[in-house]
Amino acid sequence: MGSLTSYLPIFVLFILGFLFAALSIVASKLLAPKRPTTAKEAPYECGIVPTYELPQRFPVRFYLVAMIFVIFDIEVIFLFPWAVVYNSLGTFGLVEIIVFSLAVFFSFIYLIANGALDWGPIKVQRPASESAPRTTSSTVRRVSSNNEAA
Amino acid sequence: MLATTIILPTINYTAILPELIMLGGMLVLLGLVAVIPRDFSTKTYAGLTQVIGTASLVSSLVLWHDVAAHGAFQAVAQAVDVDGFSVFFLVLVSAILIVAPAFAADYLHDEGIEGAEYFILALIAGAGAMLMGAANDLILVFLALEILSIPLYVIAGLNARRATSGEASMKYFLLGAFSSAIFVYGIALTYGATGSTNLADIAAFLSRNVIATPGTLYAGAALLLVGFAFKIAAVPFHMWSPDVYEGSPDGVVGFMAAIAKVGGFAAFLRVFVSALPTLSSIWEPVVWVLCALSLIAGAVIALSQRNIKRMLAYSSINHAGFILMGLIALSSRGVASSLYYLFAYSFIVLASFGIVTVVAKANSGSAEIDAFRGLGRRSPVLAVFFAIFLLAQAGAPFTTGFLAKFYVVSAAVAAHSYAIAVIAMLSAAVAVFFYLRVVLVMFSGSETEDAVGTPEQHPIVLSRWVWSGIMACAAATVIFGIYPLPLINFARAATLLFR
Repeated sequence: MGSLTSYLPIFVLFILGFLFAALSIVASKLLAPKRPTTAKEAPYECGIVPTYELPQRFPVRFYLVAMIFVIFDIEVIFLFPWAVVYNSLGTFGLVEIIVFSLAVFFSFIYLIANGALDWGPIKVQRPASESAPRTTSSTVRRVSSNNEAA
Repeated sequence: MLATTIILPTINYTAILPELIMLGGMLVLLGLVAVIPRDFSTKTYAGLTQVIGTASLVSSLVLWHDVAAHGAFQAVAQAVDVDGFSVFFLVLVSAILIVAPAFAADYLHDEGIEGAEYFILALIAGAGAMLMGAANDLILVFLALEILSIPLYVIAGLNARRATSGEASMKYFLLGAFSSAIFVYGIALTYGATGSTNLADIAAFLSRNVIATPGTLYAGAALLLVGFAFKIAAVPFHMWSPDVYEGSPDGVVGFMAAIAKVGGFAAFLRVFVSALPTLSSIWEPVVWVLCALSLIAGAVIALSQRNIKRMLAYSSINHAGFILMGLIALSSRGVASSLYYLFAYSFIVLASFGIVTVVAKANSGSAEIDAFRGLGRRSPVLAVFFAIFLLAQAGAPFTTGFLAKFYVVSAAVAAHSYAIAVIAMLSAAVAVFFYLRVVLVMFSGSETEDAVGTPEQHPIVLSRWVWSGIMACAAATVIFGIYPLPLINFARAATLLFR
């Protein structure tokens, strides 16, 4: 069990973190003055006051932007340690990181080519006949215009 | 900052050339899709994938020649083994990637899944399966497992317009991620107990030392076992497989089934036979139970299936039980018989799902057993080929299926595991029933005779792609069933050079 003592600082840190969070909450409850107003109780204290429920569905493009972010995020995560030990890795490291960057770059090119950054009007790539028939009560595209009326 | 010098591994690139060809070819396809203004047809991508697979097969055969001439060696800081065992899987995976696109090309086009995405993902999965066979380090085993699994989750959900496809992908992903987490924990505990992640070092450590408190090691081995059992869909870790096979796009299920089993068993056999043989008295009874349950449950539950994709999924679970018997025998002969079984299974399952795909398409997407009623009159040649593959799975003579079952059972008998041999033969007898039921449905007349004249009963027209795939699989199944010596020698050599 002697090896577990090396984990003691982590345990202490965990306790300290917990205490800090608990004390902060308790202290703000006890010390802060409570004078609520409507503006303060709103979900967001600043910005435009929402007048209607926001649509629950939003374009899938946001996910593609997130994917692009992940790709570059991962690349940077690998580039940082490589840059730190660049001198000891030498040519070998340089070649390896170029190969890695190429693989990342190809996937980025692929995303761009598939329209991940095209924010213009939707291109119809397939005949529209396969999509569900539009009714007055349900289609995806009418969501925003519907809500403006409400 | 850091003053220490880093010892760089010398990387023998020829040792991992087949994997590099797969991944390099994948990048070329990816770049091609991005650069060309209009997508080529899926057939072009299928052809390119077959070219990449062939290149990889050639480099695998060169490696085999090297190993046969100069003996096994290790590369990339002892993390990659180049021995008969790894070369066997390099060849098998390359062959799967040559055959599988033939079944997918037309299906993907007809379903409106254009583009090279499936083929790109298949190549990544192939590289993962190859690394599973070559990995000599638990960390590399895990990396390979993820390289293999993650593309398969996406492939399961490839048909974005069908809800079942998304459901299959989600189930596969959640259970797969869960089992990967269990597997990593197993690696951590094994490393904690033995002080190494290198399989050879683990084996050497365990043979030199007696561990006083082996709890950590046993837990580690148990978690590794659970992780592998999930991947190969052994009972009771099989729940995902029927749902995933049923929901995934028809034309790619055969590939998913073959590559996941091949990759999973490659690492399973190597880790347990080469790293943990000293613990065999502990894990062998557990594997025995997994094997017996897979044999029985796979065969019995398949009996009650109405959907042929689900039936084939349960029969795959039954096959997993048979392949596990080679591990129970714990002999070079047992492992060789498992390898032979994997080879036979891969091509049979590719072709079976390939034929199910075309028949289901001709019956407006239904893969119920009734869709096969009267197939013998409608498309006699196709029905005969399907019958061959079903009978091969049942273990009919003159096919690889018979010899595969024969070798695993005789290996188990040679290792005095009589009980499991009896269970295996009984489950094979049960399995014959549900395979024959489909054959009978195909060749018996339709129950309602007036259905013969309906417009649906015109013969099923197969493209040259599907025919070439069926022919390749039939050749592998029948030729190695009648003249099995080359394949047996290959499998035996794979275990002789297996350190």
